[in-house]
Amino acid sequence: MELLFQQLLNGLSLGSVYAIFAIGFGLIFANMGILNVAQGSYATWGVIPTYLLSRAGVPLWIALPAGLAGAALIGLLAEWLAFKPLRDRNAGMLGSIIIAVGIWIILLALGEIVLGPNPSAMPSGAFPSVPLDVLGLKIPPIFLLNWVALAVVAVGLTLFLSRTRFGASIRSVGFKADSAAIVGVDTRVVLSVTAMIAAAIAGLSGILYSFTANNVSFTVGEGLMLKGFAAVVIGGFGNVKGAVVAGVAIGVIEALTQQYLSSTFRDAITFGLMLLFLVVRPQGIFGELKASRA
Amino acid sequence: MNAVSILSTLEFGVVFGMLALSMYSALSTGLLSMASIMFAGCGAFLFAQLTDGLGWPPVLVLLCAAAIGGVAAIVLSALLLHLESHYIAMATIAIVLMTRVAVLNLPAVTGGVNGTPILTELSPLYIAGALLVAVWVFARLRRSRYGLASELAREDTTVASTLGVNIRWLRTVSFIISGCVGGLVGALLASLYGYIDADTFSMDLAFTALAAVVLGGAFHWLGPLIGGVVFTILPELLRGWFERADQLVDGVILVVIMIFLPRGLVDPLRWKQLVRRLRGRGEPGDGMPAGPAAAEPAQRTATEAIGS
Repeated sequence: MELLFQQLLNGLSLGSVYAIFAIGFGLIFANMGILNVAQGSYATWGVIPTYLLSRAGVPLWIALPAGLAGAALIGLLAEWLAFKPLRDRNAGMLGSIIIAVGIWIILLALGEIVLGPNPSAMPSGAFPSVPLDVLGLKIPPIFLLNWVALAVVAVGLTLFLSRTRFGASIRSVGFKADSAAIVGVDTRVVLSVTAMIAAAIAGLSGILYSFTANNVSFTVGEGLMLKGFAAVVIGGFGNVKGAVVAGVAIGVIEALTQQYLSSTFRDAITFGLMLLFLVVRPQGIFGELKASRA
Repeated sequence: MNAVSILSTLEFGVVFGMLALSMYSALSTGLLSMASIMFAGCGAFLFAQLTDGLGWPPVLVLLCAAAIGGVAAIVLSALLLHLESHYIAMATIAIVLMTRVAVLNLPAVTGGVNGTPILTELSPLYIAGALLVAVWVFARLRRSRYGLASELAREDTTVASTLGVNIRWLRTVSFIISGCVGGLVGALLASLYGYIDADTFSMDLAFTALAAVVLGGAFHWLGPLIGGVVFTILPELLRGWFERADQLVDGVILVVIMIFLPRGLVDPLRWKQLVRRLRGRGEPGDGMPAGPAAAEPAQRTATEAIGS
């Protein structure tokens, strides 16, 4: 029984990371119309500055924001150098997916050049690792950070999008960029900021993942992207609530499969679930928030 | 470069080109599909089982490889084709990654982590034969009702279905063709590599094939073939520059081509315009040499045409 609860906790922790990633992935899809397959490599590029700084002995409260800034910068560059020129040509969604694949390839290759082919781990002193003991269950401090981060990102983003003026601009550009421009929204700024927020969220999930799984490698983002995509499909595109529920659920299912079936089945079950949803209910549990977006 | 390595590069170029052709088949009806890699995986492991395991003759095995690719495509099209095109794109990316998981978890067929060594090496004649058959099929299709319908469906699905084109059926057919070509390519790749495992049919292969289609152009079957040859020679030239140079070039070419030359290198529409423009200039007494060209409707970009 204790094992079950421990695995549930592990799953909830990993699932929070997937959920954070899925929120960023859904944000860029819902508001920029880009199915950004490069989002996973943004996560890797959030990990890289944090890892390099931590290894140099810089404390985490500097290294973590540096990682977020790094990811945001990558997102901004991708927006300026690739997505914006393409948008100016009025390209459709498949064009932006192809461009995103190009960015993915470039960032993956650069990531391997920087980090090398072999996986490593965050330096042991970078974040407290002594687990708390609650009723016989072990809770490493990173679990708490994951949960807090998920709550902050989910609630913060929802409030930001629904309550602030800038959030309203983001939603209006996502709904129809031309109309937004007519009523005085600077779409260029809005799109750049959206791209940066989405990339920073991806970076955050990457950093949390590499602490949680104790793994730093240039492929960190690949796994996150698939779990994130699965979460977005299951929860519904552009739907923060759906991303959170589905992301956490995937984490829990993974942890339980690994414990009670086998670790090789882990990915197969996630993907199988995603395929099932694509076939049976492609709009996800909570549906696509298209009609109510603006 | 000696003759042997030229021949080998050419073999790889043709086979990569055919893999790109498999992706092109789906793209020509407006579907971005990476599932070609999965079809190739099916064909490759079937090739290993049938030639090395049972000793079947190569021609029969190649036919079976094409067939299993087609069957896989039928299954996938039943599962996926009701989705919007961007979901299909993402789902096929997921399928490539699932292929890896499947290969690792089916050691009885694939050798699991250890992979499968391929003992049979096909002569280049089989590759040439496969290429001829593929080119013949695609050239015939281009001039057929199917070719016309697929061009229309890619430009505008609404118009196409108004004119009585059954989009779902059209895309199913294009997917099955993609599957057959993909399965065939898998068998040929297996014989070229001499060893296949979970990492053979990975995202890297999908990236190369997609880059080949985008560079060559997705509007004529010649485009993917040329793209495939280019993306075989390019890594050879870049070898030794620095690590992952070929990957970086793949990515940069994808981005640059999509922005500056979205219809790719082989673009029948541009040829037609060029010919018309040249003719317009050549005719004496024509007061406005630029007239016919200016009257041309604005050139559509690939992405517009592929469909949003």
